[in-house]
Amino acid sequence: MEQMEQLEREVAIRSAATYAGISLAAALAVFIAATLKGGYADVARFGGAIWVFMLMMIVTMPVVTSWFKKRYRQRRTG
Amino acid sequence: MEQGTKEANAHQLTLPIEGMSCASCVRTVEGALDNLSGVEKATVNLAGGKVSVVYDPTRVNVAKVTQAITDLGYAIGVEEARLRVTGMTCASCVSHVETALRELEGVQNAVVNLGLETARVAYIPGLVTPGRMKRAIREAGYEAEEKAAGVEALDREKEARQREIRRQGMYLAFTLPIAMLVMLGTFRDMWILPLFVPEWLGYKWVLGLLTTPIVLGPGRQFFVNSWRGLRHGVTDMNLLYATGIGAAYLIAVINTLWPKAGFGGEGATFFESAALLTTFIVLGRWLEALTRGRTSEAIRKLMRLQPKRARILRDGHEIEIPADEVEVDDVVLVRPGEQVAVDGVVLEGYSAVDESMLTGESLPVEKKAGDQAIGGTMNKTGAFKYRATRVGQETALAQIIKLVEDAQASKAPIQKLADWVAGHFILGVHMLAALVFVFWFFAGYDLFFDPDSAFILSPYKLGEIGVFGFSLLLSVTVLVISCPCAVGLATPSAIMAGAGKAAEHGVLFKNAEAIENASKLQTIIFDKTGTLTKGEPSVTDVVTPDGGPETEDGRLSVLRLAAIAEKNSEHPLGEAIVRGAQARGLQVPDAESFNAIPGHGVEARVDGREILLGNRKLMRERDAVVAPLLPQAEALERDGKTVMFVAVGGRLAGLIAVADTLKEYSVEAIQWLHRSGVEVAMITGDNRRTAEAIARQVGIDRVLAEVLPQDKAEEVKKLQAQGLKVAMVGDGVNDAPALAQADVGMAIGSGTDVAKETGHVILIKEDLRDVVVAIEAAKATMGKVRQNLFWAFAYNTLSIPIGAGLLYPVFKLVVSPEWAAFLMAVSSITVTVNTLLMRSFVPSIRREERRQQAAQRPLVVAATASGGK
Repeated sequence: MEQMEQLEREVAIRSAATYAGISLAAALAVFIAATLKGGYADVARFGGAIWVFMLMMIVTMPVVTSWFKKRYRQRRTG
Repeated sequence: MEQGTKEANAHQLTLPIEGMSCASCVRTVEGALDNLSGVEKATVNLAGGKVSVVYDPTRVNVAKVTQAITDLGYAIGVEEARLRVTGMTCASCVSHVETALRELEGVQNAVVNLGLETARVAYIPGLVTPGRMKRAIREAGYEAEEKAAGVEALDREKEARQREIRRQGMYLAFTLPIAMLVMLGTFRDMWILPLFVPEWLGYKWVLGLLTTPIVLGPGRQFFVNSWRGLRHGVTDMNLLYATGIGAAYLIAVINTLWPKAGFGGEGATFFESAALLTTFIVLGRWLEALTRGRTSEAIRKLMRLQPKRARILRDGHEIEIPADEVEVDDVVLVRPGEQVAVDGVVLEGYSAVDESMLTGESLPVEKKAGDQAIGGTMNKTGAFKYRATRVGQETALAQIIKLVEDAQASKAPIQKLADWVAGHFILGVHMLAALVFVFWFFAGYDLFFDPDSAFILSPYKLGEIGVFGFSLLLSVTVLVISCPCAVGLATPSAIMAGAGKAAEHGVLFKNAEAIENASKLQTIIFDKTGTLTKGEPSVTDVVTPDGGPETEDGRLSVLRLAAIAEKNSEHPLGEAIVRGAQARGLQVPDAESFNAIPGHGVEARVDGREILLGNRKLMRERDAVVAPLLPQAEALERDGKTVMFVAVGGRLAGLIAVADTLKEYSVEAIQWLHRSGVEVAMITGDNRRTAEAIARQVGIDRVLAEVLPQDKAEEVKKLQAQGLKVAMVGDGVNDAPALAQADVGMAIGSGTDVAKETGHVILIKEDLRDVVVAIEAAKATMGKVRQNLFWAFAYNTLSIPIGAGLLYPVFKLVVSPEWAAFLMAVSSITVTVNTLLMRSFVPSIRREERRQQAAQRPLVVAATASGGK
């Protein structure tokens, strides 16, 4: 039981790191693109990056979590 | 050491096994499991029907263990848990709860119904418990409890719905007036508003103060629910609302406090968006709570029928007890106007009972000693006593409720696409919102933005809104305008309404697939005996020879003599003659002597005369000349009837034809089916001549004759191989394989013992017209499903691109978030309201019946009036 809980924790940490990473990357991409393009106020650059980060978190969170869970189950059943 | 580690890792599970009968089964199961790599020990308990398995979870899993057992031909005992799940708001919630349950080890299947707020879970006991299931549902962000049965469940469900209606109603009463003030304040410079709207109401900070309690009060539920879901990696409709309301409010606050922040400045304080968005969503929730319960009105009506009290005789005393405490063999008393408490057989008394609520039969049914009384029906005039035969969950009413609930909770094949779309909708819309934002942020704004552009149906100009504010606005509108609820509700709400409506008319669909298949039927095969016909012979013709007494009296006299001769016979044809005579009011005394002549007929002495009744051979042997009636006999035999000659004193007195006769509404039902374009066939084990005679009478043109009972399913298969959707209508016992093989098996005339029936559709009454009712109900239901799906998909296909600003480059108009919320709420409610229209569904046959009854009523009134004078 304890072993299972530990595995579940591991899955949660790994998936959180992955979806947060993907979202951060997308937000960063928006920020960099806006900076490189120029003409955007700071608020727009930061605001745009935050908004994209939020949306990407919402999109990737369930997808990544269930992918990791599936992989963990497959590994358990060999 | 290794041993120690191994033992520490070992898991144990106990599985229930069905189908083990002896010690060799024990050896087989144990042997198979022991051979499975990773299983350390398997011990079968034959008496308990269980196997205990110790295994290493790193080398073998439960699925492999169960697979090894089922491969041997045994079944794993699966139980079903019924849970009540609350907090689900849309189809994606359904998918989340189902996934959470299916992920549990030991759960074989889980079906969640949004409308009924139920989850039906098939699970292996020992591996998972209902408690664990409830925990999984709670972890996914919803509430769960074990489903109560019957009236208790009804009360709880009603209470919960009322609570939700009250809650959302209160929120609406709070938000609506404030939101109106916010709107007036926002637009106070326009039209005639400056004349009566005070200036201070237009101040941004006043609008902010008014909007804040709306967002943090009634709007809080969306933030809390979406956060609860997100914590478990679940996204639902609440998230769309929360992001929409949150973004509108946040921009408005920033633009009020820091107008130079670059979010569009003071011209873009969307407080009214946040306020109206919340109000419209709450309005949608309130209307949904009001209407959702009504789609399952039929099941509530059935549940309400469950009697609460019963009056029984115990030790010679009449006592009143709760209906669920009545035991089998108790004698129950029913007075005029009282409800029949449980099922039973009438012992004494006479009455008429209204069974319409269960069978759809509009006229009260006569009850006398020996007749069946059905619990939940309403006694009309007389009083009677009956012996309880089925109580509790065994009663017809309880079985019907369970069947209808099962059908309502099942999923039609057409729902698969809708479920898939609804399950991926929220993520898809968020992805689209991100893309819309990126497009308008990097390209669209520069290319198309015009400061003079405005919101649709609003004089409110976008003005100095910046690139971020504009992109965010369109992105939020996409989130708010999309409506997965409509997609998710389209099919289950219609199935619920349709299954319930059919049940009201005595037609029970076992599942949603049966409804869908019944709506597509091309060929219907009727079993002959017991389905189209009464299944017992009866006298159809009595003929006397030329020169004989060919009068009604003469014919009755021949029938009377034949009946007396056959009175002691146990032959079905003899019994038919006796019944025929009694039905015509003839007295049938005992014969003075009686002798059965096997394979030929009978001879008897009546009133001192020798009576001979039998076939040609018997007449020939006894020198009775049958020639005068031979042409009539042959004509009757061509019609599939059995002819018996009657001779009195050695001279031919007449003939009696006996045949299995059609049921009352067989011809009418076949005519209706022909008119609706369905091919009708008849299947029977009878010889072709008899079969064709019956088919001619009833109007069927395709006859499958001389088919043995075991071959009926093969005949159904042959028709299916031609690509036809086939229904088989039979009595449900003899025709079980054919009923199971057909796309839709309809078991007719089961009476009220619905649980025993095979087939996908159960017609409670013996009325063949209910086949038409079943088809019409199925077509109406699937029609609603298609309308709902069309609306839901069409709405989303049109509204989302418009919300995303597709029309903006040409028309310079965008949909404001509050309008988006309003459209979304209307879309969802439209589906529910469209489904509610099913409530007015009346099968064409019932409409015709009502018309005829209404036409007859004035005549009866007139006759009574003139009689009175």
